[in-house]
Amino acid sequence: MEEGLTLIQENLAILAPLFILQLILMVIALIDLAKNDEPKGPKWVWTLVIIFINIVGPIVYFIAGKRR
Amino acid sequence: MELVSVKDLTKTYSKHNVVDHVGFDLHPGKCVALLGPNGAGKTTTLRMLAGFIQPTSGTILFNEDTLSKDFRKYVGYLPQHPSFYPWMSGEEFLHYAGQLAGLTKHEVSDRSEKLLQLVHLTDAGKKRIGKYSGGMKQRLGIAQALIHQPKLIMLDEPVSSLDPIGRREVLNLIRELKKDATVLFSTHILNDAEEVSEEILLMNDGKLIEQGPISEIRGMQQTVTIRLSFEKEPKFIHEKLKEIDSVYQVTEENGVFDVTVHDLNAARKAIFERVQEEGWELSLFEITSGTLEDIFMKAVNK
Amino acid sequence: MQWTVILKKELTENWRNFKWIWVPIVFILISIMDPISTYYMPIIIESAGGLPEGTIIDIPMPNPSEAMMMSFSQLNIIGVLILTVISMGTISGEIKSGVYELVLAKPVKYTNYVTAKFFSYWLLMIVSLFLGLLASWYYINLLFGDLAFSQLIVAALFYACWLTLLIAIVILYNTWFKSPGLIAFLSIITVIILSVMTNIFSHVLGWSPAKITEYIAIYLHTGDLDTEIWFSSLIALLVSLSCLLFAIVSLRNKAID
Repeated sequence: MEEGLTLIQENLAILAPLFILQLILMVIALIDLAKNDEPKGPKWVWTLVIIFINIVGPIVYFIAGKRR
Repeated sequence: MELVSVKDLTKTYSKHNVVDHVGFDLHPGKCVALLGPNGAGKTTTLRMLAGFIQPTSGTILFNEDTLSKDFRKYVGYLPQHPSFYPWMSGEEFLHYAGQLAGLTKHEVSDRSEKLLQLVHLTDAGKKRIGKYSGGMKQRLGIAQALIHQPKLIMLDEPVSSLDPIGRREVLNLIRELKKDATVLFSTHILNDAEEVSEEILLMNDGKLIEQGPISEIRGMQQTVTIRLSFEKEPKFIHEKLKEIDSVYQVTEENGVFDVTVHDLNAARKAIFERVQEEGWELSLFEITSGTLEDIFMKAVNK
Repeated sequence: MQWTVILKKELTENWRNFKWIWVPIVFILISIMDPISTYYMPIIIESAGGLPEGTIIDIPMPNPSEAMMMSFSQLNIIGVLILTVISMGTISGEIKSGVYELVLAKPVKYTNYVTAKFFSYWLLMIVSLFLGLLASWYYINLLFGDLAFSQLIVAALFYACWLTLLIAIVILYNTWFKSPGLIAFLSIITVIILSVMTNIFSHVLGWSPAKITEYIAIYLHTGDLDTEIWFSSLIALLVSLSCLLFAIVSLRNKAID
């Protein structure tokens, strides 16, 4: 039992930065979407894409979600 | 002494002379209208003067600086549909434009404050340009053209896309501008040209067909068209109208006669005499002033 | 200085549209993704179940240099794609929107305009690349064993030459075409053709910039720098320079319509 807990803790230290980066990516994509005056496509769709598609969702939004 | 002198200016795109051997001088403190229908080559002429299209042949000479080929520092230019960075504020754009033109940070903040005031954008200066209306963008466009205190200000169709209020504002602004600089602006509307400019350059199909002070150009307009119609069309009306001295052309369409005359007063008098003598049942008498088209027709047919 | 004015504007723009945040984050994520998932592969397979009791899962763990190459191969695909897409409209977009006309009406030197834009994206690339590789290096040391920091830096510097060439190509196409999509497409095609040609004529094209990644793999594995990696990188930088020169010339001769 003790051993299993330390295993999770170890892995958490490894995986935590990964999750934090994904979270930052998601949050700034949402901030940008909120400020976006004329997004390509409806905002609610982008919101779902950004929140539910890991990593790729925010990237696709940053690349394709904005008019120049 | 002229500020700019343009000689034999020609720009050829795929064998077609968009601007065809155009020559004129611009004098300091004057406001000059570049008049012509769409596609006459006005924009191309302005762009060559602004220094970012190279002429195919011909010369543009700035008296300030006959040596350097890059005279963009003396020129402020506003394109017909100015476009900005929507993420910048109006003030930031002025700072950017000014620094590109070589102003120091200190100079530029001084200058942009004054210009924002001049174009009534002081309150909107901190707002993102993405939120600006068309008229606000046009005014910001004028401000950015003035940022480096150019000797020559060129505006491409500055009022054609504006509503009457915006148009009035910009025309008043142009009147202000000519106190410190030479203004050259293009338009296809004769009234705008008449309202603020002293001189006119008339272009058609790439060629400069007429140039001179506005009073002279107006003189060309002395053929006036009188529109007539009658309750009952009199006999031999065509011939009888033509007998009048100053009339040189009569056309008829659906019972409406367009009578082109040289001397309005004489013709009017003569026509009314006939109306009395012959007992014509006149139902419409209208003087249609010469349109831009008339001037063109005259200048082209000369 | 006009050059710094334009550079500052570019940096501000890419800061406000969050490129300076999301591009480095994405570079870090794609760099560490493969090494981490490889490390956890046995656990993932185990927890997925379906294997008969007592099956011994024996996936050989990569050595540090192999793990590092996983990062490079991800960067080579996704990193290249992202760099292309974020810079595809840097000049063409301004020409298309018309703001270029306002900028060029001021006494702006074409050289300043092109090189400042290039440099702003180059800077973003360098920062993202180093952060990504640094993160990857950290995990590799943690999970797979030691890899010298100096080796990482040397590999990153050579790899940066390859990405420098990519950005220069995108900038050049920016001055030739108006459509950002077309520019991105052609840039990627160019890179693919370059790589395929290099593969086919491998024996004569030893100095091709497309070989830099291959040489980096050798270097990470053996610790020895091939002479050819110097040539490939030098060629990459020279071609980049000529791309920029061509870009300046073609912009100068461009007719705006």
